Amino acid sequence: MQTVLGIAIDGVAYGMILFIISVGLSVTLGLMRVVNLAHGAFAMVGGYLASFAAQRLGLPFEAAAAGAILLTVVLALPLERLLYRRIYGSANELAQVLLTIGLTFVVVAGINYLFGPTLKRIPLPGYLEGVVELGPKAIPTHRAFVIAVGMAAIAGLWWLLERTDFGVKLRAAVDDPAMAAALGIRTERLYAATFALGVGLAALGGILGAELLPLEPYYAIRYIVLFLAVVAVGGAGSVFGSAGAALALGIVDTAGKYLIPDFGEFFFYAAMILILFRWPNGFFRRRTA
Amino acid sequence: MTGRLRAILLGAAAGVAMAAAPAWAATVKVGVIGPFSGPFATAGQTFKQAVEVYQAMHGDSAGGNRIEFVYKDLDQANPAQSKALAQELIVKEKVQYLAGFFFTPDALAVAPLMDEAKVPCVIFNAATSAITEKSPLYVRTSFTLWQATVPLAQHVYKTGVRKVVTAVSDYGPGIDGEAAFKATFEKAGGQVVDSIRMPLKSTDFAPFMQRIRDSGAEAIYAFLPAGPTTLAFAKAFADNGLKDRIKFFGPGDITQEPDLPALGDAAVGITTAFHYSRAHDSDLNRAFVAKHKEKFGNADTVTFTSVGAYDGTHLIYKMVEATGGKPDGAKAVEAVKGLSWESPRGPLKLDPDSRTVVQNVYLRVTERVNGALQNTEKETFAAQPDYGYKLGK
Amino acid sequence: MSPHLRDAAGAATLAAAGLAAFWLFPEDLGLLTRIAATALYVLSLDLVLGYCGVATLGQAALFGTGAYAAGIAAVHLVAEPMVLLLIGGVAGGLIALATGALILRAHGLALLMLTIAVTQMAHEVANKARWITGGSDGLSGIAPDPVLGLFRFDLYGRTSYLFALAVLVVGLLVAQRIVRSPFGLACRGVREDPLRVAALGGSPRRYLIGMYTISGVFAGVAGALTAVSTGIVGLDSLGFSWSAEALVMLVLGGAGRLYGAIIGTVAFMAIHHILAATDPFHWMLFIGLFLMGVVLFAPGGIAAAAERALERAAGWLRRAGARA
Repeated sequence: MQTVLGIAIDGVAYGMILFIISVGLSVTLGLMRVVNLAHGAFAMVGGYLASFAAQRLGLPFEAAAAGAILLTVVLALPLERLLYRRIYGSANELAQVLLTIGLTFVVVAGINYLFGPTLKRIPLPGYLEGVVELGPKAIPTHRAFVIAVGMAAIAGLWWLLERTDFGVKLRAAVDDPAMAAALGIRTERLYAATFALGVGLAALGGILGAELLPLEPYYAIRYIVLFLAVVAVGGAGSVFGSAGAALALGIVDTAGKYLIPDFGEFFFYAAMILILFRWPNGFFRRRTA
Repeated sequence: MTGRLRAILLGAAAGVAMAAAPAWAATVKVGVIGPFSGPFATAGQTFKQAVEVYQAMHGDSAGGNRIEFVYKDLDQANPAQSKALAQELIVKEKVQYLAGFFFTPDALAVAPLMDEAKVPCVIFNAATSAITEKSPLYVRTSFTLWQATVPLAQHVYKTGVRKVVTAVSDYGPGIDGEAAFKATFEKAGGQVVDSIRMPLKSTDFAPFMQRIRDSGAEAIYAFLPAGPTTLAFAKAFADNGLKDRIKFFGPGDITQEPDLPALGDAAVGITTAFHYSRAHDSDLNRAFVAKHKEKFGNADTVTFTSVGAYDGTHLIYKMVEATGGKPDGAKAVEAVKGLSWESPRGPLKLDPDSRTVVQNVYLRVTERVNGALQNTEKETFAAQPDYGYKLGK
Repeated sequence: MSPHLRDAAGAATLAAAGLAAFWLFPEDLGLLTRIAATALYVLSLDLVLGYCGVATLGQAALFGTGAYAAGIAAVHLVAEPMVLLLIGGVAGGLIALATGALILRAHGLALLMLTIAVTQMAHEVANKARWITGGSDGLSGIAPDPVLGLFRFDLYGRTSYLFALAVLVVGLLVAQRIVRSPFGLACRGVREDPLRVAALGGSPRRYLIGMYTISGVFAGVAGALTAVSTGIVGLDSLGFSWSAEALVMLVLGGAGRLYGAIIGTVAFMAIHHILAATDPFHWMLFIGLFLMGVVLFAPGGIAAAAERALERAAGWLRRAGARA
């Protein structure tokens, strides 16, 4: 029983980290219809900036993280204007895939050049170190923090998309851009804002997830399949879907690795295949496309 | 057809030129295949730097023949491309020796070429015992998993530990390490309570940590490839509260010097067995590290791949001397069999049988000295051969 | 010029260019052989992507299965190169048929992820079955018999290259016949408008599975060809990055034209070879910029750009002729 509890908690913790890193991709893919394979690159940039700020500049964790997220968004916005805007629309899927892969390669090469090939850490503040006892099972405090942030993110995004003006306008602009523009909604500004949101979430994910997915120049390429899997299974554009998918995949992966570590990889992909069979558009079908 | 005609014409022209020109020592070319780009670029960099350090300390000729190194990039384990690069080096660049090889499959792939063209291959890193069995022209100046693990397993038993769990990455070297540890530890009388093989691409090690804890072992033998997976594993080990309960043992790949700053405190206390530590206390090693600092500004990248390349270069020089700069693969390898010399890591001898160097394996503990992390050597297991060579045959 | 004549001319040009390369670069035959085998692999991807509109990142699964099948057969059963190619093709085709029937129900991102999942699982199977595939060490010891009993596979790669070139030319001719056949036209119809095809009584899914299977045969032959000419099969032939590289090469050359696949492969691998020798470290930067450049400024790839240039030249010539 203790083992089952242990696996469940580990699975949820892992799933939450996956969610935090992938939810930004769900936003850009689902709400803007852009297959942004450079998502991992933005997460990586956020992580690297935070690491640099914390280790070289000596800033405290919170300031380093906030600064890194802001700076990543600022760096990414011109890219939206110059590059992404040219390839919006579901007809351009292949172009999006290739452009964003190209962008990822450029970012990987740039990070390699600027920071070198060794692993980078983000030193955690005192209150995030150590373990938290949840009854018989102890998990690192850091992971408990990620679970908390994850739940806050789910609540926050849901409120933003369902309960605010911004959210209504965004969903309108995605459903029918021409109509939305005719009604006076500034679609380009909306897209830029959503892109910023997606990138900001990616950077946050990269920083918080650095304990699990260590920062090194090939991060962006190494984990992109992982992020895509979460988004595909959860249904692009659905925050609840992504959370559900991340948790499901996290628990299945953790349980599989515990029970039969030799075949650890199979569980993740088998789960993904089975889920996609049953729900080809993901858990929560937000769009029919 | 046309190729042969062309070859004949060139040969004739060369013959005429040679007859007319005074005889001088030709340049001997060595083709080095390693990762110079990609995730393992630092390893390739250490190859190149070590070769240059050797040349700075011993000159760039041997026996009157100038030795030139040609580098080809192979960024990952890609045996087909390894063979293609080796083919290019042999046919186009006309190298007399092949060298380098970070990954085992890349080293294995060139065996048929070596045998056909009679070109010896000096392995700077690849650590699977079976490689030197595939061709009599392989020589290896790095180490093998068996070589490092057997003395470690014996030591673990001697410290009183009786129950061990092994956790290795599910690929060639990992399985080698697991086999080596299990065989030796069980022979000494201990018990391996669980053998966990972790998928190479694993990111979350929490389930494995859970399994390790549940196994009831007193110690763990772990092997993962150097890089992000090792960092995540060591961190997970510390984070899950296992550090105080279970002793951590493994081969030195997991605490290689370039990774130590990122590992940080999670690395302190890990006991490893390996053939080289940058902190090795010998004059030659100090000179070796100092030369790196002088040539390249810092010695942060010096690690086991550096000495592998350094000593490999030494062998190449000796082989060129023995053959007078002429291409004679069998003679070259014969000449260095049984050769003994002093290396920055300690005394070395090339085993005439397995053609892997017999060397000291040191028991080290990772600790902080003067603020920096290092692998401090605590004990020496002298003259360890490659235990895995022709095992069971 | 009738389409059949154009096809034949295209294949003849390829053969001529290939033979010229043989003459001009006698010391680079290893590289040229790899380019020829890879061109066949990318050609297989063009059949599904260019002519059926199916975006897949799983072509490596088909290639790798063919390579391992041929490799295992070579080590244990038979070493006749033609038979090995046949084995590779059948293996690739069977895997394509089995997985295609299952996953071609999905579209878009879901399909992409399914193809990735299939490839990863194939990769894991090959890794775990060490006793037969060699696992991460690779499958070595593939020693093919001389082609037609006469031409030995030697160190210099002469036989390998001419053999690979011949297979590529034959492959191109077969692919050309297929895409011009009623079946091929139906597939193109499915790419344009699946609903209409269904309304006309066809089954879009059946056409897709059919073409996917054929693509699997081609990819399997390419894999077997690589195994035979290099003598070794590594896990990387089932890797995700191998699938991605095929996609990049195809788009670079221009999808939907068959010859675009060949041009893209030659361009990509030649540039990689040159850059890797001079500046391996910054290879990623160049390829990234190149990709972005192609997507933004030359969306149809090299083939489309060349066609536009030719059209413009032809128009200019016509006007110049009319004025004269």
